[in-house]
Formats: sequence, structure tokens, C-alpha cells
Amino acid sequence: PQLPLRHRLAVTAAVTFTVAAGWLYLRHQKEQQQQQRHLRHLRSLSLGQGDFQLQDTSGRTRSKADFLGSWVLLYFGFTHCPDVCPEQLERLSRALELLEAQPGLPPVQPVFVTVDPQRDDMAALRRYLRDFHPRFLGLTGSPGQVREVAARFRVYVSAGPPDSDGDYVVDHSVLTFLLDPDGMFRDCYGSARTAEELARSVRGHM
Amino acid sequence: PTMEERKACWGARDEFWQCLDRHGDDAAKCEKLRRAFESRCPQQWVKHFDKRRDFLKYKKKLETEGFHPYETAGKS
Repeated sequence: PQLPLRHRLAVTAAVTFTVAAGWLYLRHQKEQQQQQRHLRHLRSLSLGQGDFQLQDTSGRTRSKADFLGSWVLLYFGFTHCPDVCPEQLERLSRALELLEAQPGLPPVQPVFVTVDPQRDDMAALRRYLRDFHPRFLGLTGSPGQVREVAARFRVYVSAGPPDSDGDYVVDHSVLTFLLDPDGMFRDCYGSARTAEELARSVRGHM
Repeated sequence: PTMEERKACWGARDEFWQCLDRHGDDAAKCEKLRRAFESRCPQQWVKHFDKRRDFLKYKKKLETEGFHPYETAGKS
């Protein structure tokens, strides 16, 4: 004798649900593995390894050693940026606020490195960073010094042609890098991630 | 530009774009807002945002109509 319709429907629903749950779980695992593989690859490139020399907004020379002992969120941008850099800095500031709201987490040092050292001197960076998180550290230097740091992080930088009043935009990779207290690269975040995702990821690394 | 100047520029851009949306991208109907946009934003930013608008429209087109690579004129 066949099971009544009600039971057959219940069994079908249970099987479907189990299959769907299993599929979602496997897909999640696959994404995790891909993410881990991607990060391992980035770490094998030794992103951000080696020393650098830049000047902060008070004129002090800063090198890699100055940041050891602290988690760092590092963003490359320029002050004449139309929209992306302010958005990314807002996001970074918001992520920091979320992390600061959590008791027991070590502080994170936000750093902004200019890819336009020609125009972004100490004063320009000071003015610009005033609108974002108060602990933001701005770094500039000679074109050679900046080029070197960008290269260490595999950050693409390309100044566009100047227009009639000498203004130009600098095309660059939009990435925020997470470095641990040993100065090692841990993760990088593209423009699509939200502040909440950033905070969650940083917390996960800590 | 300072934060205030940036926001003024973005505001002018948004008003101009909203006008274009209302008039089916007929720039002639939005002259005044176009001039306001150009006066509030650095030239480089105007160019950047114009390109961005084209990109956003193209992206929307792809999302709604799908990608038809063989319909591109002039390609053999």
C-alpha cells in the first residue's frame, strides 16, 4: 500500500531540503578553499615584504619597522581622486569604528599612501585626511620611494594625461591591505566589500 | 578639493544624472544642470564621471538585454 499523499510530500520536502543544504554547504566549502588558495598565493608573492622609506605628515621618515607591533590597514590613493578614494577611506574609517566598538581587540593603524607624490605633499595629506578617521596616518615621499612601495604591494599606478589646467587623475588598483603586527601581509580587500565585511575579516585574522 | 567641495560636486553630478534619467539621456534638456555640474567639479572629474555614466549605462544594458557579441557593428 502506498503512503498517503501528505507523507509522500513530507518525504520529498525533507529530501529536497537535505540535498539543498548539502549543496549549499559544499559550495561554501569550495568558496572557502578558493579564498584560502588565493590568499596563500598572495602571501607567496611576499606582498609588502622588504623595507620602505616614506615621510608622514609631520615630516618624519617612516619605515617598515615603525609599524611592527601593530595591525595595519593600508590604502593607496591620491587626494585629487574623484570618488573612489573618499569612498574607500570612508569604508575603512567605518570598519575601524566597528572594530573599536569591540572590547578586547588590538587597535588597527590606518595608513594612506599617496600614489601622486607630485601634488600630495604633507600639507595636502593632512588637509585630506582630516575628513576621515582621526588616527589616519598619511605617507608621501619622492616619486621613486612611492613607486617602490607600490611595486612591493603589486599596486598598479598610472597617471593620466594632464588637461589644460594641469589637473590629472591617477589610475590605480583599489585595494586595502591588512598587515599583521609582524609586518606580514594577511589579506586584501577590493572595492566591493562593505565596512562590516572588512571588520569581520580583520577580526577573524586577529 | 575639500570634503565640502567634493560633496557639492557629487550633488551637482547627481542632479544632472537624475535629469538625464528623467529625459531619456537627452542632454539638451539638462543644459542648466550640466553647466552647474561643470562649474562645481574639476574638469578631470567631469571627464571621469562622464565615462562612469557611460559605463553604468552599458552595464545596465548588459544586465537587462544580455550580451550579444556578434551584433557589434563593424566587426567581422
